[in-house]
Amino acid sequence: MMNRKWAWGISLAVVALFAVFFLYPAWMVVKQAFQATGADGQKAWTLDFIGSVFSNPIYCEGLWNALMMGVVSTLLTLLIAFPLALVAHRYDFVGKKFLGILVLAPMILPPFVGAVGIKQMLGVNGAFNALLIDVGMMDAATPFDWLAEGRFLGIVVMNALHLYPILYMNIAAALANLDPAMEQAAENLGCPPWKRFFRITLPLAMPGVFAGSSLVFIWSFTELGVPLVFDYARIAPVQIFDGIKGLEKNPVPYALTAILLVIAAAVFALAKLVMGRAPLGTAPRPKGRSDGQKIGGWKGLACAAFFLGVFVIASVPHAGVLLLSFAERWYGTVIPDELTMRHYIEALGNGLVVPSIQNSLMYAGTATLLAVIIGVCVAWVVVRSDLKLRGWLDALVMMPLAVPGLVMAFGYLALSQEGKPFHFLIGAGGSPFFLLVLAYCIRRLPYVVRAAVAGLQQSNPALEEAAKSLGATPLRMMRRIAIPLIGANLAAGAILCFAFAMLEVSDSLILAQQAQHYPITKAIYTLLSTLGNGTELAAALGVWAMVFLSVAIMGAAVLGGKRGGLFKV
Amino acid sequence: MKGRLIGILGLLGFIVGLPLLMKRETQTASPASADDRLVILSPHNESIRKEFGEAFASWWRGKTGRSVYVDWRTPGGTSEIRMVIDAGFKAAEETGREGIGVDLFFGGGEPDFAGQAKAGRLVKLDVFDDMPELFGEGGLIPETFTGERYIAAEKDWVGTCMSQFGICYNPDFIQRLGSAVPDEWKDLGEPIYAGSLALADPTKSGSVARTFELLVQGEMQKGLRDQTPESRDQKMAAGWEEGIRLIQRMGANARYFTDSASKIPHDVGQGNAAAGMCIDFYGRSYAADLINSDGKPRVVWIAPKGGTTLSSDPIAVLKGAPNMALAQEFVKFCLTREGQRLWFQKPGTEGGPEDRALHRTPIRRDMYEAETLALTTMPGVNPYEDEGNFTYDRALTGKVFNTLRTLVKVMCIDSHEEMKAAWEAIIAAGMPEDALVVFQDISKVTYAIAGQGDAGLDSKDTMVQAARMKELGEWFRANYREARRIAETKGARP
Repeated sequence: MMNRKWAWGISLAVVALFAVFFLYPAWMVVKQAFQATGADGQKAWTLDFIGSVFSNPIYCEGLWNALMMGVVSTLLTLLIAFPLALVAHRYDFVGKKFLGILVLAPMILPPFVGAVGIKQMLGVNGAFNALLIDVGMMDAATPFDWLAEGRFLGIVVMNALHLYPILYMNIAAALANLDPAMEQAAENLGCPPWKRFFRITLPLAMPGVFAGSSLVFIWSFTELGVPLVFDYARIAPVQIFDGIKGLEKNPVPYALTAILLVIAAAVFALAKLVMGRAPLGTAPRPKGRSDGQKIGGWKGLACAAFFLGVFVIASVPHAGVLLLSFAERWYGTVIPDELTMRHYIEALGNGLVVPSIQNSLMYAGTATLLAVIIGVCVAWVVVRSDLKLRGWLDALVMMPLAVPGLVMAFGYLALSQEGKPFHFLIGAGGSPFFLLVLAYCIRRLPYVVRAAVAGLQQSNPALEEAAKSLGATPLRMMRRIAIPLIGANLAAGAILCFAFAMLEVSDSLILAQQAQHYPITKAIYTLLSTLGNGTELAAALGVWAMVFLSVAIMGAAVLGGKRGGLFKV
Repeated sequence: MKGRLIGILGLLGFIVGLPLLMKRETQTASPASADDRLVILSPHNESIRKEFGEAFASWWRGKTGRSVYVDWRTPGGTSEIRMVIDAGFKAAEETGREGIGVDLFFGGGEPDFAGQAKAGRLVKLDVFDDMPELFGEGGLIPETFTGERYIAAEKDWVGTCMSQFGICYNPDFIQRLGSAVPDEWKDLGEPIYAGSLALADPTKSGSVARTFELLVQGEMQKGLRDQTPESRDQKMAAGWEEGIRLIQRMGANARYFTDSASKIPHDVGQGNAAAGMCIDFYGRSYAADLINSDGKPRVVWIAPKGGTTLSSDPIAVLKGAPNMALAQEFVKFCLTREGQRLWFQKPGTEGGPEDRALHRTPIRRDMYEAETLALTTMPGVNPYEDEGNFTYDRALTGKVFNTLRTLVKVMCIDSHEEMKAAWEAIIAAGMPEDALVVFQDISKVTYAIAGQGDAGLDSKDTMVQAARMKELGEWFRANYREARRIAETKGARP
């Protein structure tokens, strides 16, 4: 058990950090939901706007749709991610290492152009319809409008295909921490595979399932981009976005934000109560690692085909972006009918690009480092202490996922003006380094915390206690025992944190004001507004970012491979 | 292991190094080495920013021998800019500073600038004293044109070019629908466009809201021109109702309402929408760039007959500008012939833009002479002599600017699901009259109630406004559901 003094110290430090850099700026913006302006211009505190949200059927429907979107997307994501992780865990098949990394790729869809990529593929005159027309399965006079028909299902599928890597990584890490002896014992005792799965594997992997699902749920519950691609406006995140950007100074979007936050927290707490507990107080460490059962022949090929199939379907938007970046003209054909390199030459040659790469690496790298340190501390308190408030602490650090990016960005913007409390975060020459690092870190912290919590729940505290009783200082114990034991989980969390920090939009757009401080996302946004081939330029830089992140992740996997594989894929 | 690690690091190095090798040099000085620095907040697109930044830098060097770094601040579109200015001035007020560290606000709609001027955040422009030949009676820049203001009454902002909302359409798509090409707003209300119309969102942009206002005013003016025996008030009321119903039909046809100016021509060009509401320069730019293999454009832009004005795209100097003198010089540059040429000349022509045509109409009358027009991407255009222009009459609809915007939100955007479903059912049932009457019932927002501004929708009290929005929204949705029910029962009976 954790020293209570330490636990209190960490908790207070993290709560203070969140109070100052998350709750305060968020409140600066969301408080409008609780302030009424009378006809005389006087402001008064009120709950009327919260009430008016619930009394307006449009907003109730928007909230309900968002909730359903979250739940159904999570279930579908689970349906994709669990079999993948399980197959990777149980079997060793042809191309497994490579395929295991390949299936992670879909999560790194560059912002802005991702939507264009989807439309290029699935639009009325998109590649998919062109293919169907070419093979004679569709009449060219009446093409099907994929994006307008069955939008709910479309969004759910798109969410699942985008988000399954989060769950996959978390479940893979959880399965890697399982003691194969448990499964083997069941098998030896004659337990059939299905029963073994439901009685042994699933319960033991539950921390990872919970970690991943809670992230996926909050993400898809508050997802904005995908519903916008499908022009689906009656869903709370889109209603908030529309309201905030409106000329009307209407408090309803802020009231909706507050409600969204409460629902996200409640669902998280409920789910944690039901399935988030560690299955065994003292799970034994795996005594050996099995690389899975070697299978060849058609079975091995089937496994490989499963991985490849998921990758190919999930990469449809990415393929759209990639083809777009080479397209001279792409309209009503399966692939562009003229290809060119000119967008790359122009985009990568732009003066904004080199500094933006530097900036993004600095911002996202520092933010990830900070998030890993804070995340491990929080996870430690949540799993290894007996503080009453640890559940609250856990819920608190998840909240940044549920606050719309624009809300946080404007909170930071208002507070970082000259003479305001956060102005000290603005560096010489107006550098937003500290501001963006903090913003990225806090908004991406949940990925690290969830991964670390799952890892700690599975690793045996007896090992840490043994180290302590043998005279190791807490730091040495952490360095030599605890951290290596949850290394796979931390790697998963850190990769998600880094990748999503590199691709962050709202804070980057609003807070990086001068061209020399732009991160890559703002450089992409800037190129996008070039007349003529702006979309293609943005796609070219977007492809660059995808390739960079893919290689970086592969690098992490290769490095992690030394210790038996990154989450043992 | 080591080999692989070196391989990965080498690959990463190559990826990061690629842009480094491909980097191009630009004219503008770097922020550290520049003699002067100008901070400009702007929603203009990257091409406009680049051309004006570079051209101003070389103009300034020619004039004074000093280098200048233009620090463009681009937090997003006009709504983000408004929030950034608001946040800045709020903090400045509270801490007793005069400005927000920004020199200029460049680009947007007249309503955006009028709003900032009203808040007292703009300063008087020197250009009115320094370039008097441009202004006044018979000057090169009129105070108003087509009813739109080009010069602020308080002389704290001035238009630099003009823009106009119009219709862009995809000829292939129109042909597939079997429709005639649209040439006025009214055409976009035809049921043949159901599900394939892209509309701009009037709740997020003052200029788009103005366009919806013009659409209604167009109907009112049409009625007033007719030599019929009704009174002026009756004609106004009939025109108002006709306009609101047109908005309803267009809204029912719409796929979406967007605040992204480029999304509409892009979707039209890609064939995701048949037609849309689009600002002139994006329309012209997409028309020039998206060409089919047979040489025909994929996007055509037109100014709808009798329903659109030429509004100005202004510039202003912000209060407390760090480099006030230079900011005033930039405004002057924009109004010199050198500055004005950039808007519409072909790239590479004498005095034209370097990289890209901007496809915009400059505000000075004297730019539209044959010699200059020959160098431009729009040789046949002279907005000042276009007979088809429509003149905005503020007295007719000026008071309903806010009401109309909120009404579109309540009637079309918030109720879009019910509205589309009803419209589809009505079309499927062959446009039965009784369903249409319910669908187009606007008895709660007649001219008598809302034509001079709706008390509830315009209320300063946010609760009163929210209550009225909810009341109207529920009423419209109930109508749409009822219209759908009637149409479906009609459709079921052969």
